[in-house]
Amino acid sequence: MPELLRPGSIDEAADLIARHGAAAAVLAGGTSLMRETYPSDGGYLIGVDRLGLDRVVARDGGWSVGAAVSLSVLREAVPIAALQAATREIGGPAVQNMATVGGNLFARAPFGDLAPALLALGAQLVFATADGETTQPIEDFYAGWADGAPPSTGLLTRIELDAPSGDCAYLKCARRRYSTPSVVTVAASVQKDGGTVTDARIALSGAHAQPTRCAAAEQAVIGSSLDEAAIAAAASATEGAVEPRTDAVASDWYRRRMTGVFVGRALAALA
Amino acid sequence: MSMKELGVVGRNVGQRDLESHARGQTTYYEDVHYPRMLHLKMHRSAEPHARIVSVDTSAAEASPGVVCVLTHEDLPGKKVWNGLAAVGVGPEDEPILAFDKVRWRGEPIVAVLGESAEAARAGAAKVEVDYDPLPGVFDVEEAISGSLPALTAHWPNNHYIYPDDHGAAQIRFGDVEQGFAEADHIVEDSYQTSPIEQAPMETNGCIAKPGGDGRITVHTNTQAVHFARDNTAAILGIAPGKLRFLGGTVGGGFGGKVDVAVEPISVLAAMRTGRPVKFKYTREEEMQVSSTRSAWRLNIKDGVMDDGRIVARKITSYQDSGAYLRFSSYGSMKHAGHMPGPYTIPNVWVDARVVFTNRPPSSAMRGFGVMAASFAIELQMDKVAKTIGMDPWQLRLLNAYRNGDMRAHRKVNEDAAMVETIQAAAQLAGHELPAEYQAMTSWDRKAS
Amino acid sequence: MEDKLIRLAVNGRDEAVVIQPLATLQDVLRDKLELNAVKSGCGQGGCGSCSVLVDGELQLSCLTLAERVGDAEVTTLEGLNETNAIVPLQQAFIENYAAQCGYCTAGMVMAAKALLDRNPAPSRDEIVEGLSGNLCRCTGFAPIVRAVQQAAQALSDTGEEAS
Ligand SMILES: Cc1cc2nc3c(=O)[nH]c(=O)nc-3n(C[C@H](O)[C@H](O)[C@H](O)COP(=O)(O)OP(=O)(O)OC[C@H]3O[C@@H](n4cnc5c(N)ncnc54)[C@H](O)[C@@H]3O)c2cc1C
Ligand code: FES
Ligand code: FES
Repeated sequence: MPELLRPGSIDEAADLIARHGAAAAVLAGGTSLMRETYPSDGGYLIGVDRLGLDRVVARDGGWSVGAAVSLSVLREAVPIAALQAATREIGGPAVQNMATVGGNLFARAPFGDLAPALLALGAQLVFATADGETTQPIEDFYAGWADGAPPSTGLLTRIELDAPSGDCAYLKCARRRYSTPSVVTVAASVQKDGGTVTDARIALSGAHAQPTRCAAAEQAVIGSSLDEAAIAAAASATEGAVEPRTDAVASDWYRRRMTGVFVGRALAALA
Repeated sequence: MSMKELGVVGRNVGQRDLESHARGQTTYYEDVHYPRMLHLKMHRSAEPHARIVSVDTSAAEASPGVVCVLTHEDLPGKKVWNGLAAVGVGPEDEPILAFDKVRWRGEPIVAVLGESAEAARAGAAKVEVDYDPLPGVFDVEEAISGSLPALTAHWPNNHYIYPDDHGAAQIRFGDVEQGFAEADHIVEDSYQTSPIEQAPMETNGCIAKPGGDGRITVHTNTQAVHFARDNTAAILGIAPGKLRFLGGTVGGGFGGKVDVAVEPISVLAAMRTGRPVKFKYTREEEMQVSSTRSAWRLNIKDGVMDDGRIVARKITSYQDSGAYLRFSSYGSMKHAGHMPGPYTIPNVWVDARVVFTNRPPSSAMRGFGVMAASFAIELQMDKVAKTIGMDPWQLRLLNAYRNGDMRAHRKVNEDAAMVETIQAAAQLAGHELPAEYQAMTSWDRKAS
Repeated sequence: MEDKLIRLAVNGRDEAVVIQPLATLQDVLRDKLELNAVKSGCGQGGCGSCSVLVDGELQLSCLTLAERVGDAEVTTLEGLNETNAIVPLQQAFIENYAAQCGYCTAGMVMAAKALLDRNPAPSRDEIVEGLSGNLCRCTGFAPIVRAVQQAAQALSDTGEEAS
């Protein structure tokens, strides 16, 4: 059975993670980790509850969201509708009270519903490692995943989020309304100049082994006026670009179809 | 009797345990707490079909907190059983703990007793079983084709044999071949249902507590407390009077808590150790290991006249019993008893087989055997309606059984209400029926 | 690893309990304090039968390490009846036949209480969302939702608290 360690500072936590390597797991809300059967011998759980990471700080032009902020607190503290919609559709109220933003970014398929919203919003992730602090765009973090599992990045301490300048839409395709794993999850944000789309960020989870942006869909709408033809082109480009998996929730065939349908709906909401 | 004299009909009747539920005071089997209680976890087969070459429990026994392990060698009474043996159903085919062979993935092999649930789990994970895999039998029609190995010596063709050497629960009424020859249309299809887990909110479990008087008290959430006690006694070869079974409140059952899956081994463990023993299925066990509603396949062939009368119906059905019999022979009898559905058909032929495969054994669930029959028959009725271009409501009304009709089981109908039910449903659904169909009753057959 | 002595504030009482390493709050409430209303339908967050309030917030005791609860005030269903009087929310469950086997009921009542404490006049949709982490296999959700609607109505009529 692993041992629970509860470091009192970020430095101490980063050192523990570096020292114990693969034998250590960060324990945030525990809504994923506690479900796994403990390895019976050895190992460490490193609690983040005494690190002061459970606060949202409003700063000029955005927010610093501590990695241990719960989904319920995030919903109250950061008034971005797409993000709020995402938090409401992760588990039920109890899970939302317990699960952290940081934990959700490490969630494995079919979970990880916050990621598309944060990808579409262009969040930056800040990590504490034994060698100091590093910051990376969220898409770089997901690019580092292999076989659907996160790399060893050290401790995620906070998420930097700028107030969105354009509109952002979020949609989860699932078997029921609440407390249900996702078939696919889609978030899209676009910048417009006059009626023309100048930039787009379209992100998916359930479409690949880990959450990603979909360059093919973005290209299909940039320069367009988000007319029906452009939206249809983005939807079909998405279906062509994704590599979804089959699991108990949905088949790869169904997921592929739903990525197209839901990218189309998200874009239509922004048109 | 007038409505006034009825005490219950037409009124809301108080549910006795509602207040205790709302207060959280209802006692379920798990709500008794004994000091020094041991926890039982099962080491289960990782193979769907294999010969057991060897079982090594030494690492499990040495695992911290493990108190003892039990294999088939520790069973004092029966090694194999069937829950209905006492009423003459058999043969007893299911090992209590597997020996020689495993026949489904998840079959219990070794019980491990630990000071905590975690110690027992960790110990059970350390049991080593060496398997010699055998070809798996997974499809009901392939299973009986003769091309695959027989699961047990009891059934050389992998299907159950009913008394008098019948390979299926059968109905023979009229002459279906003649009916097909006279019919204007032949409508044929195959229907398949999935295994369905009852998924009660409370998983299967029990606590067995040895008492000073030599009796063992068993707190269990079985749906069938006397049945569970008698079978436990029979399996262990002890007098039923040695066992005091306390059932009562079941946290949901739906047929999923009649398998006597946890009691015998827990009682044996309590006898061995002299300590209270708890065996509670994890949610994974409940979903993957506990029995499900059987999967059924039905091949249906109908002979139909242009005017919609069904004149012949031939059904071959296969109940996937999984690896062992449990209550499946009863399930297929009920299934056959439901044929040919609530319709009067002059020529009926049914073969309802119980087939053995390397899947988890299936068992009871609400409407045992009947649900699959209704599912397939009603899909078939829609297909018939579509084939001959008739309104499916009218097709059903036309063929619905009436009072006085002879059913395929050679019983005369006395309590038909099918016509009136369909008419009421049509009205609620806003589906208009022609006057002649509205005028039909369960007492005559005007439209035909 | 050694057993540990921890203190917990449960239903208004201070409790000292010896726990095994990594014991969950569910283990402690059920097995040490014998607060049997806390159920265990899955042990992995999926059913809501183990729902309790931690500092007034709905949480799942099966996913909570007892050690990490600290000074927070834990409330189980038993905590609603400290004076033995039944509370309007429970009464509404009874009047609406909102339980059959009763296994989910404690979790449902706690989820409903958490909702009504925050939002005393929820819409039907808000009730459905508020109960969405709790499963019932017997009753069907409609009577349960009706019970919560009735409780909300009763509260607004009397100006009382949910419980
Ligand atoms: C009933 C139920 C329903 C669920 N439904 C959904 C759903 O609909 N959508 C969804 O996306 N998820 C769902 N989840 C999955 C999961 O609980 C969430 O993804 C949750 O956000 C994980 O956060 P946590 O704080 O509980 O993480 P934990 O369980 O504590 O940790 C999860 C992982 O993240 C790592 N980690 C956590 N914090 C950090 C950090 N600061 N730095 C580095 N690594 C870290 C941990 O080491 C671990 O590997 C559900 C879970 C349950 C129990
Ligand atoms: S037991 Fe905690 S959610 Fe099911
Ligand atoms: S009443 Fe049985 S699970 Fe809800």
